Amino acid sequence: MNKLLLRYTLYILPLPVVFISLVLGPAVSARQLFDWFVEWSLRRPPDEAVNRDLLRAVLWDVRLPRVLLTLLVGGALAAAGNSLQALFRNPLVSPYILGLSAGAAFGAALAVTIPWLPVQLAAFVFALLAVALSYYLARTNKTVSTVSLILSGVIVSGIFTALLTIVQFLTDPFKLQTIVQWTMGNLHNASWDKLQSAALGIAVGVIWLFLFRWRMNVLAMGDDETRAVGLNPEHQRLLVLIPATLAASAAIAVAGVIGLLGLAIPHMVRMMLGPDNRYTLPASFTFGGAFLLIVDTCSRSVAQFEIPVGVFTTLLGGPFFIFLLKKARIGWEA
Amino acid sequence: MRSTGNTFSSIAVALALAARVARTAVHRAPSPSGPGPWLGGAVLLGLLLLEAGYAVSSSAGTRANTEEPIVVTDFRNRELVFDQPVERIVCLIESSLSNLYMLGAEDRLVGISTNVYQESVFPYYAAMDQRIRDRILPTPGNWDFVNHESLMVLQPDLVIIWAQQEEAIQTLEERGIPVFGVFMTEFADIHRQIEALGRLTGTEDRARELLALADGELERARQRLALLDDAEALPRAYFMWAQGPLQTAGKNSTVQELLELAGATNVAAGSPREQLVVNLENILIWDPEVIIMWANERLDPADVRQMAGWRGVSAVRNGRVHELPDVFSCDFWTLKYLFTVELVSRWCHPEHFAGDDLYAVRAALFDQLYQGKLPAAELPPLTRTSAQP
Amino acid sequence: MGSVETALDIQGLSFGYGDRPILTDVSVQIPAGKLTVLLGRNGSGKSTLLRLLAGLLPVKHGRITLMGHDMHRLSAAEKARIIGFMPQQHRAVFPFAVEDVVLTGRAGHVRLLPRREDMEKALQALEQVGISHLQGRPFTELSGGEQQMVMIARVLAQEPQIVMLDEPTSHLDFINQARLLTLIRQLVSTPLTVLVVLHDPNSAFLYGDHFIFLKNGRIELLESGESPWDRCVLERIYDTPMHTLPYGDRAIVVPQDPAGR
Repeated sequence: MNKLLLRYTLYILPLPVVFISLVLGPAVSARQLFDWFVEWSLRRPPDEAVNRDLLRAVLWDVRLPRVLLTLLVGGALAAAGNSLQALFRNPLVSPYILGLSAGAAFGAALAVTIPWLPVQLAAFVFALLAVALSYYLARTNKTVSTVSLILSGVIVSGIFTALLTIVQFLTDPFKLQTIVQWTMGNLHNASWDKLQSAALGIAVGVIWLFLFRWRMNVLAMGDDETRAVGLNPEHQRLLVLIPATLAASAAIAVAGVIGLLGLAIPHMVRMMLGPDNRYTLPASFTFGGAFLLIVDTCSRSVAQFEIPVGVFTTLLGGPFFIFLLKKARIGWEA
Repeated sequence: MRSTGNTFSSIAVALALAARVARTAVHRAPSPSGPGPWLGGAVLLGLLLLEAGYAVSSSAGTRANTEEPIVVTDFRNRELVFDQPVERIVCLIESSLSNLYMLGAEDRLVGISTNVYQESVFPYYAAMDQRIRDRILPTPGNWDFVNHESLMVLQPDLVIIWAQQEEAIQTLEERGIPVFGVFMTEFADIHRQIEALGRLTGTEDRARELLALADGELERARQRLALLDDAEALPRAYFMWAQGPLQTAGKNSTVQELLELAGATNVAAGSPREQLVVNLENILIWDPEVIIMWANERLDPADVRQMAGWRGVSAVRNGRVHELPDVFSCDFWTLKYLFTVELVSRWCHPEHFAGDDLYAVRAALFDQLYQGKLPAAELPPLTRTSAQP
Repeated sequence: MGSVETALDIQGLSFGYGDRPILTDVSVQIPAGKLTVLLGRNGSGKSTLLRLLAGLLPVKHGRITLMGHDMHRLSAAEKARIIGFMPQQHRAVFPFAVEDVVLTGRAGHVRLLPRREDMEKALQALEQVGISHLQGRPFTELSGGEQQMVMIARVLAQEPQIVMLDEPTSHLDFINQARLLTLIRQLVSTPLTVLVVLHDPNSAFLYGDHFIFLKNGRIELLESGESPWDRCVLERIYDTPMHTLPYGDRAIVVPQDPAGR
């Protein structure tokens, strides 16, 4: 029953984290918010010293969209990572395995140099394009094996990284800085507009993955084992790959490349709940969202200026992952 | 009298030029016109130019060495010694290029940065220089890349390049090509560069003239500041770089200098960093009264007004969001910063400038800076300036 | 032909990769409710035949009739409700609990998420195999024999009419082989048709009802009066001189050593 408790703790973890995150910030202190809330709920006459417009702007226009976006982005990347790990039967797979991040980074860089091209749209389209290309290249004799997928993913990543380098090379230093910043992850530009444009892709992808979460258990058994019970593993893979790519692309397009989250979070969740995707998928989403939110809240509370959140996730995720590799002996066992 | 060696070098030049032209073409890919028509022509013209270049260098070689040697220290604190003013300059920094035009030393140019052929600044240099208009002035590199082969072929006696490009500098110096390394952190560095370039090109008189002009303008700005009523607080200003709405400049930046000269306080001065990304919440607390945007391709002052969260900011509410018109007119790394100071002063203290024609002010200043080479008609428009509430 | 007696009717089945034929004109019947063993040397095509019958490989030439249905017309899910297939050895990556591994056998019956009755079927299958005590254990921590038992439970949870197993004993020790084959033998008594590929003819003769020999991709038929355990039959199949020792009404077979003993 301990596991049950842990599971539900993970499911509701975002609630307190969202609350704390909404309350913390440089402009308005938790104390001010508390006073405001008391005054509002008791219908006391407003304290003139409190700038209610500022309060409202900070909570509603600054913190809430950022908190929600962070939650969605972290959740989407972790859920996509969880799904792809099951799909590839490999716990070391990240959502970026099929060239998604390289494609998105190239798209963003391209958009930075072409003023009329929206960065987010270009990143999203090129992320999808990279994954589609990987899938297409991996197709031989009308079949797609996981090994050929991973190989073509490496190749496509390489191609898009090279293209990114060309764009960086041709662009002027002023714009180059924008590209570099984008690739390090940026949640500080969160707004309702950004939230809106990312939410649809993430919602469709994550809900789809949620519905197919038990199929991932079947897929994780292996191709023959899947076929033997009447499912075509290639079709099933595509049915997981498409929503995972959709969610991760939408997330990365709006937030930039956030490293290691999609790889490490599903791991932590599996260590806590076991491998059953019926539980790890929703838990990866909530825990991934909460984790990124904690990291982002810290990163914006530490300094007056913004540090790209991708730097933090990678700095935190890297050592943790090395620890996992040394301690828990995970790796290719297939 | 053409030797085979010369022919070979001509072929090498042709290849190098072709490669560079192709590079420029890629660079300009977004523009609708293809590179095809002028690619071959550029190669040919490049060859012609090379012949002309030989003639110049040989005539320069005959000049008598009678004066004191020229000793100049560059921004790396490296001493450069010349017997005579430099004759063949490759300048890979656009702002230094402007300095050379202001000094009237453009006839020494044998190579420039590919960036000059980019849309944003091309028209103005094209207006000043037939060779740029015809796109025949060779481009052996850009702000971070040097094509050593193309550069060697130009036989420069001075290369002006960013001081951070250490590897490129080392390679050039190993080949015996003197390098003037540029590194700028404040407006005074511009003055220092003008002075140094003036001595290197033998245009010291013009350099002194330019510096006197700048000092005059700065004095005017200071007098204006002194005029401000003591009781009147300097407006809080937020500077928005084009990389993103939250990208600004801290205390150790030219933006800080700009805002001080224009009679405003930089809201981000609490950070010592030259560039930083701030939290939107900070902007809400600082509540800037004026927002100055660097020339921005993606955002206009009107867009800023539409951005959620910014609506409550005083500058937005009062329609005091202003965008600098273009990167050429406002280049911080040239004496054109004087115009930016003027512009920002107006935005910060509109009450002191009633009735002045901004076009005329800029035209007069640029006329003095570029010695009349850049007619007012060629200057970019000054439309993107402000959002009305 | 009575369809009740014949679980699988194979007519003129051929298969190959490119120019390389694996199976040539195979025609054979698998009787219902019996334990049929496919025997032959390595490369004789027995695993390929099994995979074709299980629907894991596409049938291009020939015709398979499955419990009276043309297999060509059955969907993958319909096939999965008739045939349960167990691959040679399951290599697990994630430490799924035994019950969750068995539950995946229900995929052919499940739309998106398994229901309570699916879990009950999985638990029943565990009980049938006699490993209910392993229910919550991580699959990856089990012994090879236990893992094969779990995979058999997975096949049973599928509720098929025909169970096909590809060399289920090949990675097991002596005792576990015997246990697993005993279990498989018992399955036939619950009305189930079992088709198993084995490479050890002695195991086959100890547990099987019906024997099919494959040689070079063709069915090797017995002549009238011949028994599968006759020395001449086995020497023909395996191209090796043999000794046979009578064992009950059947025989135990050993190859002659080079000295001719």
